[in-house]
Amino acid sequence: MKNRYLTLLLLVLLFTLPSLFPDNESRYEQWSKSLLCPVCQGETIYDSPSEYADDMGAILLEQINKGLTDDQIYTFWVSRYGERIITNPINRNLEILFIPLTLVFGFVLLFVRKLYVKK
Amino acid sequence: MIYNTGIIFSWISFVLLVILFFNKKEIYTEILVRLNLFVQVFLFCLLEIGLFLNDFSISYIANYSAESTPPLYKFASLWGSLDGSILLWNLCLSFFMYLYLKSYKDLSSDIDIKIFSLIMIFFVGYTVFSSSPFAGCIELAAVGCNNASLLPFQELVTSNIGRGPNPLLQNHPLMAIHPPMLYIGYVGMTMPFVAATSRLYSKKQNANDWIEVAEKTTYIPWLFLTIGITLGAAWSYEVLGWGGYWAWDPVENVSFIPWLLATAFLHSAKIQKSQNTLLNWNYILVGLMFLSTIFGTFVTRSGVLISVHAFSNGNIGTYLLFGMILFGIIFIVIGSKNVEYFSNSKKIDNWFGKAGFFVYNNIFLFSSALVIFIGTIFPLIYETLYDRQITIGRSYYDILVGPLLVILLGLMIFSNKLTIKNLNINKWFKENMILINSSLAISILTLLTFDNSYILVVTVAASFMLILITVDNLFKNFRKSKINKTYWTGQIAHLGIAIFAFGIILNVSQSYSTEKEINSFEEFTFNNQTYFVYDSIEESFPEKNVIKLPISNQNTTKFTSLNIFNNSSQQAISSPAVFRTFKNDVYITVKFIDENSYKLIVRNNYGIFIMWIGLFVSSISFVPRLSKNEK
Repeated sequence: MKNRYLTLLLLVLLFTLPSLFPDNESRYEQWSKSLLCPVCQGETIYDSPSEYADDMGAILLEQINKGLTDDQIYTFWVSRYGERIITNPINRNLEILFIPLTLVFGFVLLFVRKLYVKK
Repeated sequence: MIYNTGIIFSWISFVLLVILFFNKKEIYTEILVRLNLFVQVFLFCLLEIGLFLNDFSISYIANYSAESTPPLYKFASLWGSLDGSILLWNLCLSFFMYLYLKSYKDLSSDIDIKIFSLIMIFFVGYTVFSSSPFAGCIELAAVGCNNASLLPFQELVTSNIGRGPNPLLQNHPLMAIHPPMLYIGYVGMTMPFVAATSRLYSKKQNANDWIEVAEKTTYIPWLFLTIGITLGAAWSYEVLGWGGYWAWDPVENVSFIPWLLATAFLHSAKIQKSQNTLLNWNYILVGLMFLSTIFGTFVTRSGVLISVHAFSNGNIGTYLLFGMILFGIIFIVIGSKNVEYFSNSKKIDNWFGKAGFFVYNNIFLFSSALVIFIGTIFPLIYETLYDRQITIGRSYYDILVGPLLVILLGLMIFSNKLTIKNLNINKWFKENMILINSSLAISILTLLTFDNSYILVVTVAASFMLILITVDNLFKNFRKSKINKTYWTGQIAHLGIAIFAFGIILNVSQSYSTEKEINSFEEFTFNNQTYFVYDSIEESFPEKNVIKLPISNQNTTKFTSLNIFNNSSQQAISSPAVFRTFKNDVYITVKFIDENSYKLIVRNNYGIFIMWIGLFVSSISFVPRLSKNEK
């Protein structure tokens, strides 16, 4: 039985780690990871080594240092390049999460129903 | 000369396959299959000869090779673009047809060879009717060839120099290995498809034999696909200096989808063999595996999606779409003939027994494939529906696929000792208590030095548990001859995945990067280490100019370089300098050079070496299978 308490203790310890040592991503990092570099075939400006991405990054950094809100930054980039510049459209268009989740859920339901025996 | 011979022999191969399709006499089957293989090998060699002789009267060679291209990349240029890669595809296909005939043929009927030849007619047909790597150049472009003819004995024009391969493709010897590995994996998926459809078409009493053959024939392509994807990741990370190994790029996704489906099938086939359940599901998986490889080729080659891998289109998109529909119909018709047989499929009694766990495995693997598929085609659908362009990026996959893969990791922990009856969770806990506690303790100690998040904590704990339990199991039981060797294949593969999971979660959650502007003979500090930058060295090769920048850290000097290719309008390619330790890589690429000042991207990438170890362990999981026959 002692072992069980130890397991429990370890689990509690483990799950307090995220609040003790949190992962802080800077706003610049978050945004640069979600902005597409329009000339680089599907890379974000965070990943791309091109000069174009560099220039975009400089503008982005300036915006963040000025303290622009997420909405303002979003509007700025979308008005210039269209929606496809945002690689992380999940906060805006919920159907992007909703459609695959529904399909997966439907699939699981159907799959399990076919295999389940009523007792 | 090569042009005429190539075109004529493509036709010969086509005719041979048509004869094979209509052939009724068994004695001719083998001759025809052998002849076809011979012709395909000949065509392959012929195009290689053309490439080495710089025969620029052939459009493909003029457009994708150059006189200055080094020999290895000349060799690899054969699969450097669409038409040539279809030639390699056909070679693989005819080899697999021969292998199938020799090892897996259904001796009571020849319908399998008919289906096989039909598939091959489809692919050879493309080179004969639509676009051939042997097509002769009839109109020159400024560099290379503008217009080509598929007919033999035309008046040809020869360009003086070739355009040369895409610079990305002549940067590293892996180009010669990675694509063929993937191709073998892709093309090999034809074998289980043929095995399943043909054996169910000629439905016999002992109808379950299809699953045996389908499983055996899936393992080979699965292995090559695993190696191919791994090499691709290594190439893009170690050489191309993209900084990443996996970008959820559409083309990467479509190679991952068949892998996920095949992995699901390799598991569920086992359950069908032992418990006669999931019959219909396995049939569906085999079909989807095959169709997903054609879909993958369609996505790569049709130009419907933007990707670093996509190469020029032509009309192959519609052609492949037609093929998908054709083979899809064959698959559905044969399936619907067997509705009665499929209804024998047993239901699941023990949801916490072996069958239950394998069902969860299939649910999560298939769901991952489904989510990735939707993510890949979503931009297309969205544009059609709303007339707006969107991009699906990493966060979509992080949110949707990440958790599914973590659950799969958790499920694997139970894989070492599954019984048909339900798992007794109390007993399992008691037996593994020490291992569980120690893995939790190790996880806590490891994670103390990192920035944490819940997904990181769960993944690390699960992977340590899986590693400890599997290693313990290997030490205690590996020598026992009673246990089936394929069991150990599975266990070693799981161990590799556990190591890989630990590496990748560290990489995803801990890595960071920064930019440094620096001059020659100056030093900078990064991650408590000092790096000294020397002066750059310029080297000239016939096909490219390389600017190398030596950087040293504690007596080791590495080069990061910019490769600027002649004959190419594309941007320069930077290769990284990688300072590697077990825990992390310091990964330096040049972004910009101006006289003797440089702009460097310096990344601290965690877990890469651990990931490579994991993938290597998974790749050698086939070793226990080799000794299977000795027993």
